[in-house]
Amino acid sequence: MSVLIILIPLTVGLGLLGLIAFLWTLKSKQYDDIKGAANRILFDDEDDSQKKNKG
Amino acid sequence: MIKSCLHCGEDTKDLAQDFCCRGCDLAYRIVNKMGLGNYYKFRQLNHNEGKIKPEISEEIDISEFVTQHKDGTNSVSLIVQGMHCAACIWLIESILQKQENVINARVNLSQKTLLLSWKGDVAKGNELMHLIYEIGYKLLPFDPEILQAADKKYNDSILRALAVAGFGAGNIMLLSICLWFSDAWNMGEATRNLLQYFSALIALPVVIFSARPFFASAWKSTRAGYPNMDLAISIAIFLACLVSILEMIRSARHVYFDSAVMLLFFLLIGRYLDLRARKKAFSVAAEFALLSATFGRVEENSVIKILPPKNLKEGMILIVAAGEKIAADGIIIEGESEIDTSTITGESLPAKASKGSEVFAGMINISAPLKIRITKSAQNSLLCEIVKISSQVELKKNHYVRLADRLAKFYTPAVHLLAFITFCFWFKNGWELALMNATAVLIITCPCALALAVPIVQTIAISRLLRRGILVKSGEALEKLLEAETIIFDKTGSLTIGCPRLIAVEFASGEKISEIEKKEFLKLAASLAKNSRHPISQAIASIHDEKLYELQSQEHQGFGLSSNFDGKDLKLGRREFCEINYAKNSTDLRLKCFMKFGEAEVVFSFEDEIKSDAKAVIERLKKMKKKIILLSGDSEIIVKNVAAEVGISEFYFAQTPVSKVEFLEKLKAQKQKLVMVGDGLNDAPSLAAADVSISFSKASDIAQNIADIVIQGEKLSPLIELQNSTKKALHLMKENLWIALVYNLIALPFAIMGYVVPLIAALAMSSSSLLVLFNSLRMNKLKN
Repeated sequence: MSVLIILIPLTVGLGLLGLIAFLWTLKSKQYDDIKGAANRILFDDEDDSQKKNKG
Repeated sequence: MIKSCLHCGEDTKDLAQDFCCRGCDLAYRIVNKMGLGNYYKFRQLNHNEGKIKPEISEEIDISEFVTQHKDGTNSVSLIVQGMHCAACIWLIESILQKQENVINARVNLSQKTLLLSWKGDVAKGNELMHLIYEIGYKLLPFDPEILQAADKKYNDSILRALAVAGFGAGNIMLLSICLWFSDAWNMGEATRNLLQYFSALIALPVVIFSARPFFASAWKSTRAGYPNMDLAISIAIFLACLVSILEMIRSARHVYFDSAVMLLFFLLIGRYLDLRARKKAFSVAAEFALLSATFGRVEENSVIKILPPKNLKEGMILIVAAGEKIAADGIIIEGESEIDTSTITGESLPAKASKGSEVFAGMINISAPLKIRITKSAQNSLLCEIVKISSQVELKKNHYVRLADRLAKFYTPAVHLLAFITFCFWFKNGWELALMNATAVLIITCPCALALAVPIVQTIAISRLLRRGILVKSGEALEKLLEAETIIFDKTGSLTIGCPRLIAVEFASGEKISEIEKKEFLKLAASLAKNSRHPISQAIASIHDEKLYELQSQEHQGFGLSSNFDGKDLKLGRREFCEINYAKNSTDLRLKCFMKFGEAEVVFSFEDEIKSDAKAVIERLKKMKKKIILLSGDSEIIVKNVAAEVGISEFYFAQTPVSKVEFLEKLKAQKQKLVMVGDGLNDAPSLAAADVSISFSKASDIAQNIADIVIQGEKLSPLIELQNSTKKALHLMKENLWIALVYNLIALPFAIMGYVVPLIAALAMSSSSLLVLFNSLRMNKLKN
C-alpha cells in the first residue's frame, strides 16, 4: 500500500495542473468576450497573411 | 420593387442608384479600396441592433480619454455602436490594423467595445476614429475603469472559488470512496489515517480559499444585525472541518472533509448562476449619455473656440451647425431651425425653434445654424438633471427581499436550534460524539438545494426568454414582475410606434376628393418628398413605391419643399409656406402637411400609429387582473384618443419627467407594486422608480440601461410571454424550495439520531441537488 504515497500526490498534482490552467485562462481574460471568440473562429486565414506582409 | 443600399442595407429611394446616400457610397468605396470587400459577403445585417449608416461626421476630440503609456504608446477604450456580427469585428479590426503606427485594435463583441492602441501622436486617435465613423459605426470614448467595476471583480473571484472547490471536491471524492466502503479491519489503520490526512491536506486549503465569499458575507450580515443564510453555511462548513480534524487526530472512522467541500461546490454553483443574472451597475449609462455631445463651439470676441462640454459656462455664445448636437441648455439668440427634441421629450417630430426659444443639451439641431446663449453650464443642464434624478431614485429604492431570503429568515435559526438540541441530547455520551452529531445535523440541513433552487430556475427562464427576444437583466425582476398589479405605459414609442403614418388626404376647402385624385396627389407629394430626411417627408415617400416623377426640388429648411411640375408651381410643407388658408385658429398642426399644386390645396393628416397588437395585449393584461395606466407627456386630445383606442380608462396627459416620478411615488406610498413600460430619456426617472421597468430595443440608450427588461423589436406581445414565463418560473422556484425542505425534513431525524455518516451525507446532498435540477429543467417544457 505504500505506493499510495506516490500515487495520490501524483493524481492530485495532475488535477492541480488542470486547475492552474483554468485559473490562467481566467486571469488572461479569455472569458471576457465569449461571444466575440465564437465569431472570430470564422475569420479567414488570408487576413493573417496580409498582416504578416505588412510588418 | 425595393432595392437595398449596398452599404447599409436600407431601402434606396431611387432604383437607379446602388446607395441610399453619399455617405454610404463613400464608405463602400473606402472598404473596397482597402481590399476588405469580403465584409459585404459575410456580414449579417440586423436592423434591430443598430444601423451602419454614415451620418454627418462630427468633429470629435478624444484626446482627454487617451491614456499615454511610458513607452510612448497611447491607448483608448471606445464604445462601438452598430456592431453586431463577426464581419463587423473583422472589418473594424482590419481597417485599423492596416493603418500606420497602430499597434493593436481589439474588439470585444459582448461589451461592444474596442480597445485601440497606437504609437506616436495623441491626436492620431482622432484620425483613426474618424475612419471608423466614415464606415458608419459610431464610436464613443469612455473610461475603462467604469466597466471594470467591482461587479466584474466579484464575478471573477466567485468563478475562481468555484474552480478550486470543484477541483477539491473531485479529488477528495476519490479518497472518500475508499474510506466509505472499508474500515480499519480490512483497510488497515495506517492506510486509513493516510487517506484521511490527504483529504485534510486537500480540503483545508480549498475551504480556506473558496469559502471566503461566504465567510465575508456572513460576517458582514452578522455585524449589521441581520444574519443571513451565509451564516448558517459558514458555521456548517467551519464545524465540519473542525470536527473532522479532531476525529482525524483521534484516528476515528468518520471524517466530513468531503461533505464540507462538496457543500461548498454546490453552493458556489448556485451563487455563480445568481450572480450572472444580476443587474449591472447603471452609472455607466449616465456616463454614456453625457458623452453624447462631445464638444461645444463657442464664439468669444469673434474668435471661435472648441471646448469640451464641461468647460461651457453660463453666458457664453454657442454656435451649433445643422446636424450637430446642442451641448448646453440655452436660449436662441440668432437663427431659425428645426430641432429634434426626442432625447428630452420623447417626441418623434422635430419642433420649430426661433429667436427666444429655449433649447436643451442633448437635442439635435436639424436644419439651419443657430446661435445660442448658454443659460446653464453643462453640469446643470436638464439632461444632467434627468440623469441625476434617475440615479437618485434608483438609490432610494427599497431593497427587495427575495423569495429565498424570506425563507432563510426562518430557516437559519430553526436549523441552529435543532443542532443545539442534538448537541445537548448526545452530551451525556461525551462531547466529541455530541459535536459530531450536531455537525451532521448542520451539514444535512445546509441549504444546498435551497441555494440552487432559485438560481437554476432563474437562469433557465432568463435564457429561454432571451431566445424569444426578451432580455431580462435581473433575476429579481422575474420575482417582482408577478407581484406587480399595476402596469404603467408611456405613450410614444411604447404603445405607439413613434413614427408618423398617413391617415387622410383631403382638400383644404373640405370638398370631396376622388380616389384617383388622391392617388395622383400622393404620387406627386412622394416624388417631391423622397429627397428630404424630415420624418413627415419620409412617411409620405414610404407609402408610394411605384415609379415616381423626376423632380428638380428645392428644400427650404424648416418650411418645406418646392418644385415645378407640368408647368405649375408645386409646394409641400408648412401651412404658411404653401399659403393655404386652413384652420386658421388651430395651433396644433404638427401632424398635418400641406401641398399646393397650381390651384389645388391638399392637406395630409398623420397620426402616430398605435402598435398593431397593443389593443389585444392590453385586453389580456386586464384579464390577468392588472391595472393599466397611461402616462404621457403629450396633449390631452392625443392621449385621450390613444387611450380610447387601446382600451385604457385611466390616463394622464402633459406629464413632465419629474411629475411622472411623483405620480409613481404616490402609488408606491399606497403599497402598490408597479411595472413601468417606457422608452425615452424622459421616462428614465420613472423607469428607475418603478419596481420593474421594461423598455424596447429601439429606446434611448439610457432607458435601455436602466430597464430591468428590454424587449427586442416593437411588438407588445412579449409582455404576455413575460407574464406566463415568470408565473411558471416562480411556481417552479417554490416547488424546488418545497422539495429541498421536505428532503431535509426526512433526513433530519436520521441526523439527530446520529445515523448520518459521511456516505449518507454525500448521497443526501447530491441527490437533493439533482432532484432540484431536474425539476427546474421542466421550465423548458412551457408551451407557447
